[in-house]
Amino acid sequence: MNCGVKSVSGETYELLAMLMRYVFVFIGILILWRAYRWMRRDAKAYRREMKALPDAGLVGEMVDLHTGESQPLPREGMIGSAGDCDIRLKGAGVARRHVLFAFEEGKGLMIRPCRRHAVMLEDERVKGPAFALHGMQIRLGEAVLRVRLFAGLNVPHGAVFRRDDPTNVPYDPEEVSWADMEDTSLPPFAPVLECPEKDVENMSPAGMGYAGNYTEDGQMTWQFAAYPLEELQRVRQEQAGFYEGRTEEAEEQEEGIPYESPLPRRRRGMRP
Amino acid sequence: MKQTRRNIRRLCLVLCGLFVLLIGYAAFSIMTYGNRWFTSAQNTYARQKKSDVIAGDILDRNGIILAVTAEGKRQYHQDAAVRSAMVHAVGDEKGNVNNGAENFFSSHLYGFNMTLLERLGFAVRGEKRQGDHVYLTVDSRLAAYTASVFPGDKAGAVVVMNYETGEVLTQQSFPNFDPENITYAVRNHPKNPFLNRAVQELNAPGSTFKIVTAASALDAFADAVNRPFQCTGQLQAGLRLVTDAGTKLEEGVITSHGQLNLQRAFQVSCNNTFARIALQLGDEQLRKTAEAFGFNDNFLFRDLVVENSSYPTENRNEGEVAWTGAGQSALTATPMHMCLIAAAVANDGVMMEPRMLVKTVTPLGEVRTQGQSRVYRQAIPAEHAAVLQQFMRSVVTGGTGTAAAIPGVKVCGKTGSAEKDTQENTNAWFVGYLDEEKSPYAICVVVEDAGGGGSVAAPIARKIFMWMLENGYAD
Amino acid sequence: MSKENKSRRRDPARSLLSAVMLFFFLGFFMLGIKDGDWLSFLLSLIVPAIIFVGTVGVAKFFPSDKLLFVLTNFLCALGVLMLYRMDPQKGLSQAVSYGVGVGCMILCILLVRYMPDWKHVTGLMILGGLGLLALPLVIGTEINGAQSWIRLGGMSVQPSEVVKLALLLCVSSLLARKKVLISVAFAAVCLGVLMLQKDLGTALLYYGVTLVLVYAATGSKTLVGCGLAGGAAAALLGYSMFAHVKLRVSIWLDPWADPQGSGYQIVQSLIAIINGGAWGVGLGLGNAQTSIPYAYNDFIFSVILHEFGMIFGLIVVLVYAFIVIRGIMIARRSKTAFYALLATGCSALIALQTFVIIGGNIKLIPLTGVTLPFISFGGTSMVSSLCVIGLLQGVAGHNAAQIKEDRLLAMGGGETE
Repeated sequence: MNCGVKSVSGETYELLAMLMRYVFVFIGILILWRAYRWMRRDAKAYRREMKALPDAGLVGEMVDLHTGESQPLPREGMIGSAGDCDIRLKGAGVARRHVLFAFEEGKGLMIRPCRRHAVMLEDERVKGPAFALHGMQIRLGEAVLRVRLFAGLNVPHGAVFRRDDPTNVPYDPEEVSWADMEDTSLPPFAPVLECPEKDVENMSPAGMGYAGNYTEDGQMTWQFAAYPLEELQRVRQEQAGFYEGRTEEAEEQEEGIPYESPLPRRRRGMRP
Repeated sequence: MKQTRRNIRRLCLVLCGLFVLLIGYAAFSIMTYGNRWFTSAQNTYARQKKSDVIAGDILDRNGIILAVTAEGKRQYHQDAAVRSAMVHAVGDEKGNVNNGAENFFSSHLYGFNMTLLERLGFAVRGEKRQGDHVYLTVDSRLAAYTASVFPGDKAGAVVVMNYETGEVLTQQSFPNFDPENITYAVRNHPKNPFLNRAVQELNAPGSTFKIVTAASALDAFADAVNRPFQCTGQLQAGLRLVTDAGTKLEEGVITSHGQLNLQRAFQVSCNNTFARIALQLGDEQLRKTAEAFGFNDNFLFRDLVVENSSYPTENRNEGEVAWTGAGQSALTATPMHMCLIAAAVANDGVMMEPRMLVKTVTPLGEVRTQGQSRVYRQAIPAEHAAVLQQFMRSVVTGGTGTAAAIPGVKVCGKTGSAEKDTQENTNAWFVGYLDEEKSPYAICVVVEDAGGGGSVAAPIARKIFMWMLENGYAD
Repeated sequence: MSKENKSRRRDPARSLLSAVMLFFFLGFFMLGIKDGDWLSFLLSLIVPAIIFVGTVGVAKFFPSDKLLFVLTNFLCALGVLMLYRMDPQKGLSQAVSYGVGVGCMILCILLVRYMPDWKHVTGLMILGGLGLLALPLVIGTEINGAQSWIRLGGMSVQPSEVVKLALLLCVSSLLARKKVLISVAFAAVCLGVLMLQKDLGTALLYYGVTLVLVYAATGSKTLVGCGLAGGAAAALLGYSMFAHVKLRVSIWLDPWADPQGSGYQIVQSLIAIINGGAWGVGLGLGNAQTSIPYAYNDFIFSVILHEFGMIFGLIVVLVYAFIVIRGIMIARRSKTAFYALLATGCSALIALQTFVIIGGNIKLIPLTGVTLPFISFGGTSMVSSLCVIGLLQGVAGHNAAQIKEDRLLAMGGGETE
């Protein structure tokens, strides 16, 4: 394909090519160096991001009802007494790898015992995969765990397990919960509905069902419908005023119903 | 999930390890074998590039020109005798000699180490590029003299080296040939003149191996020097019978040395005693010492290619072990290696790497590379080396090697007469060195199919040493 | 929520990209000067432009990892450069394969990113994979001793490259659900079929990747130990059964024994490498492409070492290492076992493939029929390697989406999608 462009003599090209060897190697080293710097920068940015989002990748927490301490619950993992389990328990009767769990969109926290270990979910023996919802108790050997899931997860709506149980862990009013933001026109604590199978399809447009606040005909209250972020923040500030002075006990006394709200998102370390 | 993440982190290390292995192996492989690949006959690219370059000269340690490119042709030393004597060290143009300097140092001679600036310089001046001049450690006059005293009709090899620096002063193989005159007769000579017997021919070292056996005994037995041995002339070891030189069983003549100690046995080269020692040591111990001396090792010297010596590892029954102690059985070594062993003993147990390169000089006169001496290994501890030095001295003063003695000079050595099945006569071996501060030279002379080491090889060594002392090697 | 402030001036993406573009501009320019070839000059402008558009474009429209793609593009363009230097036709056809490959890569990205549930598809993929794999045995043609190719109207395809992707997806999916036995069984059957086809290099890769994934998922040393033992046994079996395996091992042990005959390829490869020296003989000046047989696919790395030098060869190996490390980083950022395993499998695949082929070039291990990903000539090789990168980018995209979701939820925001 030699069309009109004259090529240089062999000797000249040879010298040029020999000079270019060094140039190519130099550019190669430059490429490596810049790629390395990019990786470092990216890793640093990721670490910073993860520090700002302490709940990233988590779906909630597991509370050990004997000791009262809670461990963060990742999307999938293992519960057991081994060191590399995601939820570590020290009680007797807990195997090294006791239960496998994985959060499944639309269904809740799937748990499955490894190798036929004894696991009770709300006093029912778990044989195959079972779905735990927010508030349920899992018993392994002597240890008892309470499942707490974050608000905003893709669980079947209405799926807050209500318990008449004095060992309920009350929620901390210091933590901002946007379950606090209620429409004053509605009764503050809507009755908890069962989770009828057919309603699983009638979730909000984005598939994010929220627990708790539904009107009786299945309509969602306006706080949980989709609207812009700024609007939500504005509303939150408005509502903050409403709750000044009200305490949890006052509310409970008012209603006589023990209230277990879904666990709010924690906001440690976040910039406003 | 934590578990999975942890496993993934470990896997990352493994995968990175794969890359490290790749890079490491490549680096090692190229550094040790690179030059051999470059100089192999398969390298057509290098050959093409050679035609664009005027090859540099090859000179000996004193600056005498051994090879030069003149009028487009490669010319060697004017004197045919010198040419022939040097042919295995210098090599020939066509590469008939494996790994002669012409071929082995071709990367220097053909300017493959030239920098870009120098290349530009040549291009700018319009001259044909010139390679570097290579100065070898060998001495052409010594080689010529050695060739003159070596028996003309026999095959063999001579190696002389400096045991403190490892520089090879001569490596010669006989029969040799004239590189400017490769005739049909040369090509079809039954004894293959192209073969460099000094570094390529593997034969049983015979009694010269007793140096290694003695070193092994010194290592294993605390009382080795004083232990009494009884030589009975014949030793039955397994299915084999160990006899001494001079024994003719058919005629009922049995040589025996009576009672002696290690030094005396070494002095008279008593097979009986050394076979006994080998059996007492056991194959393991003897092999350990041999391997410390370099047997079974893959020689990867920078300046030359030496065939690997081997200490046999199969069929180690009693008879074989006994004869190994005396230097026979399936042992093989090159003359270069045996010279290295003598050099190690002389150098207080430190074996230096043999060197052929003094320096390379650019066409403009600057020194581009300077050869460096390097220790190959510490074969034996210095105390044992001192004992062996005494033994080797006694061989020349009152043992089998008296033919190598020079009045007023401390010559040390060991003779050997190695049997080879296909030959009528034994291979005559002599390894030795000068125990003189100003003349640290070791030698190995091998004359194939010639008779006794003491009678044939030792006198040659003597002549060579004498010539060296008279010709500039005494200071 | 604050907007992310990327200082556009010192953007590492831009500087890396510009270095890569410069490299290929100079490379093709040199080739143009050498032959006086207007097409080379044209390519010296087009190739950098394609790299730029590709990297920036794909990153803008599809969720992907820019760094990974830049490094991949570097290697692909290096392949095109070397092949163009050897034979312009091959270079151009490699560029076309690259285009097709990027298309398939985008498909893979979308597949991984948007497929909701792999559970249902796994069964189908297993059956389909086995079927495709066994196809060459039935209607295939034999090329270079391996009956693993199918001719489709003038082109030859290797279904094992496609099934490689299916293997990655299925095994990751099964292992994520702790169904170890089924995944190992699937892999074993694939291996069996490949051995029947005598495609031992690909079998080695399948085996390696499965072993890596099993360890990542279970961490049980016993399982891995059994796997290694089984592999060793299979290797010995293969050695004793197949004559050409014996030949390859003997060539590997001492190629200099027969430098003109069976050892010719590896001997010439070593010689080309040493002729290159540290800096290379110069682009366009070497003779490796004529002296080494199959220099354009199996031994292309030796040609690179010959013309660009050993230092540059080291740089190329490090680029592969960076790609693998980046893949592992992506794997560690995943929140679900499936995506983590998928990313690990992809990285391991690239690492193993590179190791096996470069090892064969420098006589570290015997030669196998594997190609160097991204650089070797070959449509199926290029497309499948880019698809593997596509899977990796899909996982990266998934991670990024997850973080975005987390961030929004943490802010107390509303809908995310």
